[in-house]
Amino acid sequence: MERPDLKQALGRLLGPAGPEVGCEECFDELDRYVELELSGRDADAAIPGLRAHLDGCPACREEHESLRALVGGDQVL
Amino acid sequence: MNAHATNARTTAPLLDAESRDWLRALRAGEPGREEAVARLHALLLRAARFEVARRRPGLPHLRGGELDDIALEAADDALVSVLRRLDTFRGLSRFTTWAYKFALLEAAVKLRKRAWQGREVPLAPETWGLFASGGPGPAGEAEQTELIAVLQAAIADVLTPRQRRVLVALALNGVPIDVLAERTGTTRGALYKTLHDARRRLRRHLEERGLSLDDLEEAS
Repeated sequence: MERPDLKQALGRLLGPAGPEVGCEECFDELDRYVELELSGRDADAAIPGLRAHLDGCPACREEHESLRALVGGDQVL
Repeated sequence: MNAHATNARTTAPLLDAESRDWLRALRAGEPGREEAVARLHALLLRAARFEVARRRPGLPHLRGGELDDIALEAADDALVSVLRRLDTFRGLSRFTTWAYKFALLEAAVKLRKRAWQGREVPLAPETWGLFASGGPGPAGEAEQTELIAVLQAAIADVLTPRQRRVLVALALNGVPIDVLAERTGTTRGALYKTLHDARRRLRRHLEERGLSLDDLEEAS
């Protein structure tokens, strides 16, 4: 039985299962992570634990989405 | 792993020409620094306005002038941060990407705080309904009721009072982490550490009872 809303709520409550970096390390590495992503390289292998943090921290996730959109838009122009 | 070797690998990359030009122009005492600082401010303002525009649909109560002021304030604060931390730029991305993140952060934090201005931060569970919305019928409702009971008991039994307050505010009630940090006089990093510890403890407790997240999801 699929309940995506409940899965989301559980995910928010229990967070990512694997190891993750903290907010400060996430901010330190975010620019490199985004450029690796946009260049098609394996950002998750280069910076372990950052993706898990983005899954667990809505504020960092929003900032990642914004930086990716802003830099990605620049590259398109 | 050899930390020094890692450090050497990550602190001595080849800078791209544009980033090198930015750094040279922004160094104190360089001719043309004032012009470079003005260009940097314009870049940061563009990023701050980008963030404001992205969030605007969620902020219908804020007028255009207020949003412009927030963007300008964010750019001003980001400029101070970037100039202060210029020597920490490692060249692992382009300089502009590195600088953008300061403006996006400043704008996002200001907008989250503005959205919660004058609102009380709820520290007790308000939204268990999230776990019960759209139930698939009586059988599903019973499973959900049991699931919520297990989670409620775990939160009450295994977390410290601080862990409980932080988990409930951030993960159940959706309080932005910057807002909670400001109201409780702590930092975002410290709050996330508390949230992380609470989540780990909760997961471990559920696993000790033979419940994994997969089981809980299946019960949904």
